[in-house]
Amino acid sequence: MEIIDTDVHPIVRDGLRSVIPYMSEAWRKRLETKGVLTIPSNHLPLRYEHPSGHVIRVDAQPPGGGVGGSDPAFMVEHLIEGSGLSAVVMNSLQAAQFAAAVAGPEESVALCSAFNDFFIAEWLPVDPRLRLAITVPTQDPAAAAAEVRRLGGVDGVCAVAMPLINIRMGARYYHPIYEAAVEMGLPVFMHVSGADYVYQGAPQPAGGLPESYAERYVTMPQIGAANLTSLIFSGTLERFPTLKFLFAEFGFTWVVPQMWRMDDAWRALRLETPWLKRAPSEYLHRQVKFSTQAVEAPPDMSSLYRLIEDDLGDDLLTFSTDYPHWDNDLPHNTLPRLSKEAKARVFGGNAIELFGRERLGLAAAPLVNA
Amino acid sequence: MPEVADAQRVAVGALDDLPLKEFRYISVGRVEIGVIRLPDGSVHAVRNVCPHKGAPVCRGDVSGTMVPSAPGELSYGLEDTVLRCPWHGFEFSLQSGEELFTGHGLRLARYAVTVDDDGVVYVDARRPIRPAGD
Repeated sequence: MEIIDTDVHPIVRDGLRSVIPYMSEAWRKRLETKGVLTIPSNHLPLRYEHPSGHVIRVDAQPPGGGVGGSDPAFMVEHLIEGSGLSAVVMNSLQAAQFAAAVAGPEESVALCSAFNDFFIAEWLPVDPRLRLAITVPTQDPAAAAAEVRRLGGVDGVCAVAMPLINIRMGARYYHPIYEAAVEMGLPVFMHVSGADYVYQGAPQPAGGLPESYAERYVTMPQIGAANLTSLIFSGTLERFPTLKFLFAEFGFTWVVPQMWRMDDAWRALRLETPWLKRAPSEYLHRQVKFSTQAVEAPPDMSSLYRLIEDDLGDDLLTFSTDYPHWDNDLPHNTLPRLSKEAKARVFGGNAIELFGRERLGLAAAPLVNA
Repeated sequence: MPEVADAQRVAVGALDDLPLKEFRYISVGRVEIGVIRLPDGSVHAVRNVCPHKGAPVCRGDVSGTMVPSAPGELSYGLEDTVLRCPWHGFEFSLQSGEELFTGHGLRLARYAVTVDDDGVVYVDARRPIRPAGD
């Protein structure tokens, strides 16, 4: 069985010092003079710091030093070889935070390109199973589209990671980015950036600010739910029928009642959004998938399996670890009781359909009756 | 780390050589056991597998924890007796092996530890200690 991990976070070992060689001299000067090179790429306030002090698994620390996830060769050994993965989709949260809110628009354009060039130059050559979702500067949609076109054809690039700002994804604001993604045949990869609920400009939580890491952790899926609803009811999925989205690390159990609610609303309120020619759940199944980590654990796991098989649909899920974070899932301890057919879909088939075999660096599919 | 083919009393080393609050590992077949000496003088041996999802639990922090308290109050206790799994942060008592405070009742596999007259620490690696009442 081919196992694709659709959410892995490579950490840039020396923060901005590692990526400034990929910037122009003027931009290097800008960052050096601002004095930001020594700031760790984690911009969380005290209230949202993990209570244990560890967001990254301490047991993922590479033997050569550095934080877990910061050594590509060790990631290959520890994660890819260790779990028998066929490909992993890397996305940088360090780049995402800058793009979402921490950097200004021009700064984030320069930083995203630098981070992307860094990973392409220093990570992708390490192993063909390492694949990259390039980060685009959401604060400047035209520049983001240009970045998609600049790098979308690079071998190893498999998606467009679009860090979220506080504008719902159905907004026309995003059309240049979506057009570029369609043109390059890339899916859009959605993930919290870490700037969410922290900075103005990043997505804000319904009801007001959470007061702890735990509260924020539980509340994050709201961002996924709000943006999914927006993508559908705005008609974005109708306007770009070949554009696909992966909602990574937003959970998936909430999708079921959300789908029911959207379908009911569409049926009763269709005259307001007549561009929806089919039920919301149909668009969802056609163009959206959700990564599995972290799989929730109801008291009776049978409930979860029933939810997946009967209500959600196992076509909607793509396996993910979220390595090297503390709440990672691994293939051997994730949804072990799925049927053989469902496992093949969830652990590999759905991701292959979303990204494409070539984008994931997989050899052509074996012939069935070879 | 010392490896023995025979699961029996395994010598870990001199008690005085065991650093405080730092696991030493022994391997018995495919079973890896972490042995730790605590400031109160006790020595504990636990299987290096978290009963939740199989993490190398002994890589976690050993400390106290915030015991259940009134809203708005923090009360730190159980100093140097709590092992927190490096993955999901589940907290286990090194003294009883039990998961603390959540009511879920997971349990570390613990092994009997003895110290002989020469001050050598032994672990009975044949089987985990059966919890009282089981």
